[in-house]
Amino acid sequence: MIDQSSISSDKITSDLMPQKFGKAGTIWVSILVLLCLAGLFGYYRQLTLGLGVTGMRDYASWGIYISNFVFFVAISLVGSLITAIFRLTNVGWRTPLTRISEIIAVSAILFASIIIIVDMGRPERFTHIFLYSRLQSPIIWDVIVITTYLVLSVLFLYFPLLADLPILIKNSKAGSGLQKLYKFLGSFWKGTAAQFKITEKAVKIISVMIIPVALAIHTVTSWLFATTYRPGWDSTNFGAYFVSGAFLVGAGGVIVAMYVFRKAYKLEAYITEKHFDYMGKIVVMLALLYLYFNVNEYLVPAFKMKKAEEHHLMSLFTGEFSLLFWSVIILGMIVPIVVLIFPSGRKPKTAFIMGVLVVVGAWFKRFLIVTPTMLSPFLPMYDVPENYKHYWPTWEEWAITIGSLAGALLIITIFARLFPIVPIHETIEERQNVKQQML
Amino acid sequence: MRRFTSSWLCFLFTCVLVIPTQAQDEKDKNAIKVDLAYYQLDNALPILVASAKTKNGKKFEPVDSVDIYLYFNEESTVGFIGKIRTNDKGIGKLSLPERFRSDWATLPSSTFIATITGNERFKDASTEIEIAKAKIELTAEEKDSVRIITAKVLAFQDSSWIVVPETEIKLVVRRLLSDIKVGEDDSFTTDDDGVASTEFNLTIPGDGDGNIFIGAKIDDNDTYGNLVTTKVMKWGAPLERDDSFEARTLWATRDKTPLWLLIFPNLIIASVWGIIFYLLYLITRIIKLGKTNESA
Repeated sequence: MIDQSSISSDKITSDLMPQKFGKAGTIWVSILVLLCLAGLFGYYRQLTLGLGVTGMRDYASWGIYISNFVFFVAISLVGSLITAIFRLTNVGWRTPLTRISEIIAVSAILFASIIIIVDMGRPERFTHIFLYSRLQSPIIWDVIVITTYLVLSVLFLYFPLLADLPILIKNSKAGSGLQKLYKFLGSFWKGTAAQFKITEKAVKIISVMIIPVALAIHTVTSWLFATTYRPGWDSTNFGAYFVSGAFLVGAGGVIVAMYVFRKAYKLEAYITEKHFDYMGKIVVMLALLYLYFNVNEYLVPAFKMKKAEEHHLMSLFTGEFSLLFWSVIILGMIVPIVVLIFPSGRKPKTAFIMGVLVVVGAWFKRFLIVTPTMLSPFLPMYDVPENYKHYWPTWEEWAITIGSLAGALLIITIFARLFPIVPIHETIEERQNVKQQML
Repeated sequence: MRRFTSSWLCFLFTCVLVIPTQAQDEKDKNAIKVDLAYYQLDNALPILVASAKTKNGKKFEPVDSVDIYLYFNEESTVGFIGKIRTNDKGIGKLSLPERFRSDWATLPSSTFIATITGNERFKDASTEIEIAKAKIELTAEEKDSVRIITAKVLAFQDSSWIVVPETEIKLVVRRLLSDIKVGEDDSFTTDDDGVASTEFNLTIPGDGDGNIFIGAKIDDNDTYGNLVTTKVMKWGAPLERDDSFEARTLWATRDKTPLWLLIFPNLIIASVWGIIFYLLYLITRIIKLGKTNESA
């Protein structure tokens, strides 16, 4: 392991400066762009032909769009976990992870907003949400809180970035478009004590404020379900259940991003094994917490097995969704707990695999929260067509959903191309502090 | 002569070809059953309800879109009441036209005929019912806080109304979807004076003024058909209008949001966005500081 305090400021700057895409990077971006275009084509078909091109019918009127929306909302919680909670609790090793988690939060919440419009039958009436909003509707609470969280997350990304902008201006090609962008964003930053003081104050304010807003966004999203009287959703636990799940997928997402950036940008000296070790432990704790809520959500209703809820529960335990359900519980929660509980399991590669399992499991978990419930109404329709009773997304839905996921990754990728994914100024300062303490 | 013979042969040939085909068609048609019921509401001109059904296996099923011809007293142009077409429940209704009022009012009994003929799917069918003219006189009174409903059944014989004893009659409160019985018994039998009565002890909601419909009815009587007579009485509890939709509730329109839901969330939203605007202000301060520093 490289001693970080021994690295010079210039070396840190050159290590952490955004780099041009290599061959792998270009291929990666091309794939993401192609997936986004496929998604756009799917959406064009949906716009022109209507929601009939989806697999959604009168029973499953919420499909993978809503599952995807909940997933995006969930993973966005990582911003408040790493940046705000760690900052307020003065966790020293957080620095290389803050910007990664914040850009994940911003891109995820941005696509959460987009995907909800995709789910609308009449997207041209989107403005009606604001023009004719009823404060009685949980959907409006979600719109308000998502907008607030998005703005706060962007500010949370921007304020700490200010100190890096002069470094970027200095080290970028004079007169280039990139330099112009940096100058537009932060040419006014002179690094004076007064500017630092204001920035610190702003970051502190956001750190405090973003936590209740982040909890609110997940709680309100859970209320979209819990305020509806349906099997599997009629729960007073739902807010906490969603928040704990969001923390887990967020932490898993950060491990995955840490590993990828570490590999792609050769950041072994900054994102160290220690970070994987700590994040691994956090994932274990969060997975246990989420597992606890899952036990509450499924085992208690299963113990009672009320007639009206039987169809839903049995579809998960032994029926149509059982393979997916048990895969998510075992691969998305139990396996990461078992593997990451051991120090050898918290090595970068293993932790990365566990992170992938957590994130993929979390996506399918959202599908399991939405779809089986929709297919188990308390009052089934009479003489309903057989295809109403099952839901399988059409290729248009898959294309749009995968396109949105690719879009979120594209934002993160482009951000990492334009800005240092590990804060340069903060890392230099940290190194100097360590040196001073050693002296 | 030859020409006549040739025409005659042509006619015979056509008959030989067509008549068995038609006979075969008639044979292929399904049997249909037609029923007729007589309804007389508040002693007005009766309503005739005809129904058509056919046997499918062991079960009778209603038949829709079948034309049924109704006749009064005789199956002729003179007695033709009208044509009805059955609905999806196999039922069609028709009120006795005004032109038959004098005959109906003066005759002690009338015959009603329903026929199905010339239907493409079904064989011809017919039914008839003979109904003796009758009426129910309904009175309701309150004496010493006791409410009593009295119904008297009268039949029209020899140009006068005579009482009808020993006839089953129901005393009810008429509601939108069904009737509520008055008293403990489902039905009553008229006495020698043709009268049946019971106390009214129900507490049920009426309209805004407490009006309810009380009624006396004879159901499916072989002689008199179905007779119903109603009377409006202020014996119900006045209905208080549920105007909660006008109030500030969670299910009301946006301009009727509950005050607590307007005040507290808006306070939170204003506070959070106030801080966000303050943060934006801090950015402008940082910009200003930068520019000041630059010029210095």
